Formats: sequence, C-alpha cells, structure tokens
Amino acid sequence: MSDEPFDKEEFVAYFRDEAEELLQQIDGDLLRLEEFVDSGQADPEIVNSLFRALHTIKGSSGMLGFTEVQGLAHKLENLCDLLRKERMPLSEGSVEILFSGRDFLTDLVQAAIGQSAPPSGLNEFTGRLDQFVAIYNETSNVIEGKAPDRSEGGNAVGSEPMNEAEIAAFEAEIERMLAEAAATAPPAPTTPTANLAAPAVESAARPAPARGNGESADAKKSAAQGKRSSLAQTIRVDIDRLDALLNLVGELVINRTRISDIATTLGRLMGDRALNASIGLIGPLSKDLADSAALLARTTNEIQESIMKVRMVPIGQVFDRFPRTVRDVAKARGKEVQLQISGADTDLDKTIVDEVGEPLMHLLRNCVDHGIEAPDERERQGKPRMGTIALNAYHEGNQIIIEISDDGGGINLDKVRAKAIKNGLIGTEDRLTDRELIELIFTPGFSTAEEVSDVSGRGVGMDVVKRNITKLKGIFDVDSAPGQGTRFTIKLPLTLAIIQALLVRVVDELYAIPLDSVIESQRVEMPDVRTVHGSEVITLRGQVVPLLRIADFFELGGERDPEKVMIVIVGLQGRQVGLVVDSFEGEQEIVIKPLSDVVGRIPGISGATILGNGSISLIIDVHSLVSDAYAGGKVTRAEFSGV
Amino acid sequence: MMAEQREEKKQQYSGETFQVVSFRLGGEEYGVDISQVQEIIRMVEITHVPRAPRFMEGVINLRGQLIPIIDLRTRFGMNRADHTKSTRIIVTDIGSKRVGIVVDSVSEVLNIPVENVEDAPEMVAGIGTEYIQGVGKVDTRLIILLDLSKVITSEEKQALDSVDEAAE
Repeated sequence: MSDEPFDKEEFVAYFRDEAEELLQQIDGDLLRLEEFVDSGQADPEIVNSLFRALHTIKGSSGMLGFTEVQGLAHKLENLCDLLRKERMPLSEGSVEILFSGRDFLTDLVQAAIGQSAPPSGLNEFTGRLDQFVAIYNETSNVIEGKAPDRSEGGNAVGSEPMNEAEIAAFEAEIERMLAEAAATAPPAPTTPTANLAAPAVESAARPAPARGNGESADAKKSAAQGKRSSLAQTIRVDIDRLDALLNLVGELVINRTRISDIATTLGRLMGDRALNASIGLIGPLSKDLADSAALLARTTNEIQESIMKVRMVPIGQVFDRFPRTVRDVAKARGKEVQLQISGADTDLDKTIVDEVGEPLMHLLRNCVDHGIEAPDERERQGKPRMGTIALNAYHEGNQIIIEISDDGGGINLDKVRAKAIKNGLIGTEDRLTDRELIELIFTPGFSTAEEVSDVSGRGVGMDVVKRNITKLKGIFDVDSAPGQGTRFTIKLPLTLAIIQALLVRVVDELYAIPLDSVIESQRVEMPDVRTVHGSEVITLRGQVVPLLRIADFFELGGERDPEKVMIVIVGLQGRQVGLVVDSFEGEQEIVIKPLSDVVGRIPGISGATILGNGSISLIIDVHSLVSDAYAGGKVTRAEFSGV
Repeated sequence: MMAEQREEKKQQYSGETFQVVSFRLGGEEYGVDISQVQEIIRMVEITHVPRAPRFMEGVINLRGQLIPIIDLRTRFGMNRADHTKSTRIIVTDIGSKRVGIVVDSVSEVLNIPVENVEDAPEMVAGIGTEYIQGVGKVDTRLIILLDLSKVITSEEKQALDSVDEAAE
C-alpha cells in the first residue's frame, strides 16, 4: 500500500463532501444577497463569504485536475470580486447570473466525480459571464482611471488583482484552510510525484502573507475565524464507522442486561439462609456484583446516549436547500412566497435526516404550487400579496416534530370530492367526513392540480410522501382550514436503531412488536370474537377490529386456545388491527439488528434482536405484516376498512 | 475445464496443497477451503425464521452476532436428518458475509496435494457441479471440494427469487 503515492479516490470523496457543503452555503449566501438588490449595495460579509467558498472550490478542484470546475469557479470568483470592490452594482441581473453559475458549478462537480453527464449550454453561459465581467472591468477602469498600483500583499492565486489589507487577510485565511485540508489528507500531497496535488502544496508551503497586517485586518480575520471555528472543530466520520460503534454498544447493552440478571439471581440465592451459611463468601461477592452491575448499567447507558448523539445531526442540513427550491418554484409559478424556518438546529439521527429531505421538499413544492394563491388573488381576499410558508422543527419527548404550514387557500374539499368521484375512488352517493376527504389525497395517483405542472404534478403524489414517512416509522397528519391555509405535521422517532418493544410469545418463539405501533394489549374471551366473511373480528369501543393470528400468518402451527385470545392492538394508517399472540412477555428496550441479506426479505419481519438471556427474538414489521396479510386475503378488505 | 481456470483455482489454496476442513453429509465426504472457515461449533438453539426459504434453518446468536444458518442437506436436495451429537455448524466467512452451514459431522483438516485433485465429474450425488471446485483423492477417500462462495451466492439468488414469487 505504501507504494501507492496518491489515493485519488479518497480525495475525490473529500472533495465531493466539501463541494456539496460549499455549494449549499453559496446558495444561502445568494439568497441573502438577493435581499440587498433593491439597495444596489451588497453586504460585504455575504460577498466575502461567497468569494471564500468559490475560492475553496477552485483550489480543491484544481488540486484534483477538475479543470472545468476550477475554470468556472474562477470566473465566478472574479464576478464576486467586482461586487466586493463595488465596481459592479448589485442588480437582479448579477444575482441571477450568479445563481445560474452556481447551478452550472453543481452540474460540473457532479460530472467531475462521474455522477452525471457534463451540463449542456455551459459555453454560452461562460460567454455571457465573460461579457458581463468585461463590461464592468472596462467601466470601472474608466471611472477610476488606470487602476492604481495596489498589487502588494497577498497576490496569491490566479490572475485577479488582489489588494487591500482586508483581502490579504482573507488570502491568509484561505491559505490556512487549504493547508489544513492538505494536512488532513493522506501524506500523498507532499510527495513530489503527486502532480495533481501540486497547486495545494505550493500554496500550503508559501508562508502565509499579511498575517497581522494592520488592526482592521486582524479584527476582520478573527471575525472570520470565529465564524469558521465551529467548522474547524468538527471532523467528518464515515457513517459506517459510527454504525459499527453503535453495534458494539448494542452488544454492551445486551451484556449489561445479562449481568444485571445474574446479579439479581445471585441476590435471591443470598436470601437462602442455608446456602448462605454453607458458602459464606457469596454474600459480599453478590453485593459487589450488584454494585458493579449497577455501575456498568449507568456507564453503558451514558455511552449509548453519547453514541446516539454522535449520530445526531441538525435537521438544518436538510432545510438549507429549501429556500432556493421555494424561491425557484415561486418564480416559476408567478407567486410571491417567503419561507420562514425555525428549529433548524433540532438534532435527529443522520439516517433519518438523509431520508426525510425528499418528502419535505415535495410538501414545500406542494404548498407553493397548490397552497399559496396568486398575488392578485391574495390581495382580493385581503391577504398580503406575499404568502408565507413556515417550516418548524422541535423535539417532543422521544420524537421530533416537523411542521409545514402555509397561509394559502387550504385544501379545497369540493375539488377533492369531485376528483375522487371522477377517479372512481368514491361513489357520488358516498358521504365522507372532511377528515376522510383529506385522507383521500394520500391515495395513489391522486392529484387535484388542474393541469399537470412541472412543479409538483409529476405523478409522484402525496401517497409517496406518506409512504416515505411511514417507512421511517413516522406519523403524518394534515390540518386544513378553507381560506386560511394548510398544516402538515410529521412526527418522527429520534433514532431507528434502539426502540422500545413489546415482547410476545407465539407458539415457541418470542417476537418483538415495536411499541410505537402498539395501541393497547388485552385479553378477549372467545365468545366476544365474532366471524365476518370467515374472518375473526372483535368490537372494541364500538369499532370493529379485524384479528390477525400471527401463528397462522407465519405458518407456525400450534394449538388455539378455545377459551380466550390475547390481542395486541396495533395502529396502522388510522386503522386498527388486532394481532393474536399466545402471551405477553413484557416491554423491553431492544437493539435492532438487520437479518443477513443471505436470509432475504421476509414479509412481516423487519429484523431481530438479542435478548438479555442470549436468545434471539424476531422483530415484527407491523406495516408489512398487515399489508401482506391484507393483500394475501387473510384479512378481507371490508374488515380492514372497518366496515 | 480450461487449464488456466484450474490454475487460478489452485492458487486460491495455499501453495502446492489444498488445505481443507473435511466434513460428512449424507454418505459423502466434502471439503471447504480452511481460509473460509471461521470456526466450528456444536449445535446451538436455532431461531426459526418464518416464511424464509426452505434451506434457511434460521439464525443463531454467536457472541452477539446474528448468523444465518443454511441446511446444506436441504440445499443439495437430500433428506433432512435429525441433529445428533456429532452434528456441527461450520461458521464460514465468505467475502463480507458470515454464514453457518449445518453438517452431519466434521472429520479433520486435510492437506491434499494439487496433483491429487481432479476436475469435478458431471454430477456428484445430485448436487450441481457449479458448487464443486474439484474432487480430491486422499488414499482411497474422495473429498468433494466445495466452492462456498458459489453456494452462498446461489442461495441468495434463490432467496430473492422466492421472495419475488411471494410478491406476485
């Protein structure tokens, strides 16, 4: 391995992560910049931040030989430079060209790392960009006369004229960051053979110029560093490594339970006088073990919590890209919309953060497209022309709540009804409550948009949103008031790795049912179990609940108790189903382990867990169990829909 | 079989001898590459996985790790046998997958010189040649050398197929 001089793959992975983050930041900066368009004066902080991000992308893409990315980043950097030096006024045009530039840059990065084809229309765009820059370079030269010689200081990279102590400080900062990046990478960049890394080596090796170059420069630098410090103190860790760590903690948790069990048993033995007298040592030993077990339990809990926290990332990571989406969709649909985000620093598990982005994006598009009315229409209704969408996240107990609400027209129930009748989902005579009508929008293929827009009517409907949320063990809810707006509420578990479960026995095996889907468990006498269309049902508080015998579903055999059934009522999409088991074995916190892919996917089973005594319990996937039983005719449609 | 393919296979083994763990299944004696064998354990309680493919015996807990267990008899179309005192689970490590296989009994570790290994005959006791790397001769004994990675991959494929069938 040591004769491998340059592990490019690792660099590329690093570059991809870094570029993604920076492009995100550029997006945010541009959005903030746009707010200053009216004044024609850019906030220097924002322009500097943009400049810095572009510069970093330029540097690292150059290092990897991604010349196209480097070239475009350089041109955009020049444009920012004009803004920064106030040679170019901040206008809608300049912001727009920066936005397009940012999009091309994203495409180029994707193409460079081989994830997509190179974008088309790039040449036209760079032509436009060059023209743009040329105009202002000329005019500024005319206005200022021949640019005065201000070339001292950190003229570090490229051809753009660098001047002013402030910029020098910037350069120093950038050099420092590049040097850091080079240092964190494998030793490769320092080997002379590593041609690709050469620019980075160069800039890293050069003594940082202009450090402490005047007071104002220093102040600005430390301000910039203050902002950066939160980045500097974090490290990137491969999620697989965290998963491995979490797995080990899982083992620890299991063993902790086991040791506590042993300590308890020993404690009971100690109560046995005869035994205690015959082996005098058991007493103190047992007490030591109990103490030690308690300590182990506490430490393990803390480790478990810490690991869970390590996996937690702020949901803001996902939110960051929404303002841009909302802006673009609103522009495309001729609407005025502001997005208010709160709770972006609310933490949740990385795996959930990764999955929740798409559904949220879809909901936001929906709000802009269908929720918020056109500005004129809003004015007629006495609402402000600009619609508001609020995106809010917060913790509640062991869950995270994400709310998206708009002040638009609400869900038009008449349209929903008409559409549902047209699509044959309901009959013309059917009387549905408002609630049931709203539920209809989650039916596959349902869309009330009058024309299929390219924004949210792409055949992907609310049903997919709901399914994705359900997959994350989340709950999805909608409230809507005509003329006042719509609110979507999503409740998600903080983590998917460790859950509370109800253990049940079926024939010879223990199964774990995730507690979040359990509504209640109870014993029902056989005479209270009725049969409808050949399937068993019970009536629970006036509601008919179909029963599903787990032993039958899993083809386990076993004998039926002629006198009673033990039932776990689970909730699923607002319906209830009673799972019939042999006995309840208590609640427990369990660590979810996936079944090996050699086993394949088993309907009704989501994984397994190892219990305190070392035995294995399979985890029931309530969702797939019920839908499979439903599809396989084990529960009939009529019963499932609660008729 | 092409000569170079033979060569390639032989190179997977250590130098000039095949070092294999031999075991019995039905009336035959089999061998697996010792480097693929993680450990050999006595029968433990196997947790049945309902609606899994037939050859999946279930899963076991091996020091906190879930290991799927494959019944080779079922896989090779033999009759199931009751577990006895000599029944063993060979825990194998193939690629990144850890899988246990149930065998009638484990015999010994054998060194089989390369020149004593023949290509697989067309059919061996009902199991397809795709799982067989060759047949080794040790004195008068014939050892069927299994290619476990093939066994596992096709198990997987079969498992997927059966799930797809169930989905239809």
